[in-house]
Amino acid sequence: MPGMASDSGDGNTSLVQYSPNPQPITYPLHHGLKPPISRLSISWARGNTLRVTVLRPPQPSAVPEEESGGSVVEVKIGDDGDGEIDDAQWRRIAYGSVTPFALLQSRKNSASTLSKMSAFDNSMWSQHIMEYSAEIKSLLGAPKLSYKSPIDNPKEILEDIRKPTCLKAAWELMDIFYADQQSQAWIPERLIDWLADYDCLLSGTQSSVHSKLVDFQKELVALQAVEDHPKYWEAISSALAIGWLEVVVKLLRLHGSYHYDQLGSRETENGLVEAVAVLLSKMPRLRPELKADKLGECYKSKPDFMKAWEKWRAQITKLDCSSFWLQCEHEETRSGLKSVLQILLGNSSSLSNATQQWIELYVAHFLYIRPFMAGLESMYDLAQKCMQMKPVHEHKLIRLLIGILGENPEVIIAECSRSFGPWMIAHAAELLTVGNIQAEILLSEPRYKLGGMCIEELNRLIYAQILSSHALTWQIAPIYLSSCMIQGMGLLETVLCKQALQNNQVLLKTIEICRLYELDVVSRKIMKIAGVHDWKHGKKGSGVFWLQQVRDEVRLSRIAKQLFDFVGKSVSDESFKQWEGLIELLGSESGTAGGLEFLNKYRDFRRSLHLVNSGVATDAAQKAAEALILLMKNPSTPQRFWLPILYDALKLLNWPKYPLFDVSQTNLMLNKLQELSMVKLRPDFVDADLPPEALNTVRLALGTNLGRAILKE
Amino acid sequence: MEKAIVTLEINSSCTAWNYNGQRLAAGSSDGTLAIYDSADPASSNFSCASKFKVLETSILKVVWVPPEFGDAVACIGSDGSLSLWEEVVEDGDLIQWKLCKSFKRNSSTVLDIQFGVFSTSLKLVAAYSDGQVKIFELLDPLDLKDWQLQAEFENVIESASKIGQAFCLSATISWIPQRVESQRSSFVLGFNSDVPQLNSSKVWEFDEDHQRWLPVAELALPEDKDDRVLSVAWAPNIGRPYEVIAVATGKGISIWQVGSNPDSDGRLSLERVASLSGHNGEVWQMEWDMSGMTLATTGSDGVVKLWQANLNGAWQEQAIFEPAT
Repeated sequence: MPGMASDSGDGNTSLVQYSPNPQPITYPLHHGLKPPISRLSISWARGNTLRVTVLRPPQPSAVPEEESGGSVVEVKIGDDGDGEIDDAQWRRIAYGSVTPFALLQSRKNSASTLSKMSAFDNSMWSQHIMEYSAEIKSLLGAPKLSYKSPIDNPKEILEDIRKPTCLKAAWELMDIFYADQQSQAWIPERLIDWLADYDCLLSGTQSSVHSKLVDFQKELVALQAVEDHPKYWEAISSALAIGWLEVVVKLLRLHGSYHYDQLGSRETENGLVEAVAVLLSKMPRLRPELKADKLGECYKSKPDFMKAWEKWRAQITKLDCSSFWLQCEHEETRSGLKSVLQILLGNSSSLSNATQQWIELYVAHFLYIRPFMAGLESMYDLAQKCMQMKPVHEHKLIRLLIGILGENPEVIIAECSRSFGPWMIAHAAELLTVGNIQAEILLSEPRYKLGGMCIEELNRLIYAQILSSHALTWQIAPIYLSSCMIQGMGLLETVLCKQALQNNQVLLKTIEICRLYELDVVSRKIMKIAGVHDWKHGKKGSGVFWLQQVRDEVRLSRIAKQLFDFVGKSVSDESFKQWEGLIELLGSESGTAGGLEFLNKYRDFRRSLHLVNSGVATDAAQKAAEALILLMKNPSTPQRFWLPILYDALKLLNWPKYPLFDVSQTNLMLNKLQELSMVKLRPDFVDADLPPEALNTVRLALGTNLGRAILKE
Repeated sequence: MEKAIVTLEINSSCTAWNYNGQRLAAGSSDGTLAIYDSADPASSNFSCASKFKVLETSILKVVWVPPEFGDAVACIGSDGSLSLWEEVVEDGDLIQWKLCKSFKRNSSTVLDIQFGVFSTSLKLVAAYSDGQVKIFELLDPLDLKDWQLQAEFENVIESASKIGQAFCLSATISWIPQRVESQRSSFVLGFNSDVPQLNSSKVWEFDEDHQRWLPVAELALPEDKDDRVLSVAWAPNIGRPYEVIAVATGKGISIWQVGSNPDSDGRLSLERVASLSGHNGEVWQMEWDMSGMTLATTGSDGVVKLWQANLNGAWQEQAIFEPAT
């Protein structure tokens, strides 16, 4: 389910989801190694990236020319790669579609919290969908420029424009039929426009009107007296049949009778050509508007249109029966113009002859035979009829159109995901469900076999998985995953936990996303990973920081133990400096230190003790004693360190000149020792690395000190 | 569509990627381990960062330790040894790989190991050539030196039945993929041995109350129970009400749906939802993608296959990748 193997060049090689028994497609995996290959191993990286290790058998030592023993090859599964859009452009589309998608989801959520969708809400919703579709459409490429009449080159009949993408063509089809509620009344006209923009895409393996015109354009440059060539008249008929009136008029004006030197002798002929050109440029259209450079006259209301249509048709008929034809001596012009009139009059065999593909014939029907066509059912019937008359082109856009006309959501969904990829289906599903109960049920019904999720969610998951395979797009995957109620958060957790957390920027971004989606547990895990990594890779301060953020008491207490041991041992050491900063850092924020702040006091204690040991007199001993009492009183000094600290302080306890501790202080320490003896009986007690007699030695010293203190007082 | 990202040194014998696919450990037949890194998370250019001798014999398998316990790998040698190596920076900025643990050896050899994280502790399951399964637990989360043997058992449902001397060719283990909040400690394990009872894959679950491991499911139809198991793979579960486990035997690949909670007699509900042809030859390895919806497999026919279920839940072979020069 989650996608299709991508391939460059041909979009039809993607895996089929809907066909009952698809044959698996075999892809070559180029690894660049010399045979033989001894073993393969596989590993999934982030998203839908599969890494295949290809290993050669071990070589006996004496084969110096062999350089590599294997190779790891990365394959992206289910990418939108039919090669028509490059990676950078894809990322632009991916990023651009986030905002409209997220906005639509939030509108959907607020609508569903209002629970009941009143009629007003429905129209509001249509408005939202329309905005959404328009925004996505604009992302997929600027609107194609129409055929304008360029003054510079009168013989250029088709403008040389960048080829539009099939993806945009597909989106526009969805837009026409589902999103743009305002154009519901003139769907045929929108299809005519659609074909004008995208006919060039349909001429891959089969010729189209567009390809025919392109071919003729090439010949045109070399032609003198174009009107003598049947191809000229064929080109005119073809362009006319699918409504490219501007091209037709432009071609007609290339007619030889317009030349100054011939105007006199071919007056009637020229009059006929011009009459046709004028007539067709006044063709009535049932649509609200036409672009400025388009020919024809628009009528918004049907009665007005019908009136104009009848009148226009009458003019054509009148011209057809005119006596001027008898005076036209140029045979080709006469028959050429006559067939143009037949097309304008809706002669079905003329239309059929002038068009190449069924879709072109279909559009010709809308233009000249059934301009009032309405309703998908009758449009589908007409499509069937046209398909019987012309070979059916196996193009993905045509398959999608047939699915739409046949009102078959399953086919549409399958075609969207199969031919146009996960991005398309994840975004276009929103259009499909507008007011379409059948599609709504199909897409949003929970399915046990999909682990309780619906197809809509599945499609979003697949798309998010693709986003998460790339370092530049994984950050937008959460937006899609958060709209997946059943499995989205689960996948998001995995995506976040698989980031390159040793990179600080990625780490911070990941934690930010966790906070945004309230994934506390995930961010704890991530910070733990970062903390352990830093701690073990020499970034001790940062390691402790992250572990403190997580309040990972277990690891922090292990760190405390390590530091304690180190501080204990290295007080005279030069490298103490390196630890000092860390201890400072730990001690500066009480509360988050996780049992480490006492180390600060311990350091003071060790310092004074060090002075005592190096022979500096009683003052230092007094200070050390004070530091010891502070440590013992401090509730954050972990119990397991009490004995080692007291053991360290033996010299103070046995201070020869006078007792350094008074009775209450000594009692405090004795109590701690007593507590420790009790704890020692518990199973989880961890013994410090001290000599076995340590406890007794300390107890004895304390006892002695108590005696001396009592005497002194 | 495909892109070579690492060139491995001569005599490489096995590879393993770490949790985020940023580091590759490659063992070799002369016992050295090479670590390949990519400097930038966005780049897929990997180069050898460290190389060190781990064993005197060939390295058969490398497994990364879960990242919350450090950057470390376990290596199984062809002599059946098992050792743990960790990357640390000590005394200045020098990166070093240090041996932290060499597991004691007896007459049997280690066939497979896998790490599992259970709440905060790290567990290691090891399967041995004599059919024994051992579970070790890490004592100190910051130190990979100290391991405690927590349990030792055989891969059988009825522990009463005595099995004789076992000779196992290979074993395969797969932990339940970790979900952050999941508290279950469970894995599936199968053997390829001459003792039929040991072979079939069993799901083991840790019983917190009694502190012991219990077999909660046997992933084999009655007539297939003796089949030697070549590979098992527990699929990530990102929200399904059931678990999915793939089991490969000589007969092909089976996909099992396993209930999430044991019934009154302590067993999980089971359904074999697909029986796939697998590979032309034996299955070497099976790996689930991160959503648990696509299974990738390799086998002795030298190809990689992808398997997916369609919308009706029917599992199908979706693509084949065939190595080509």
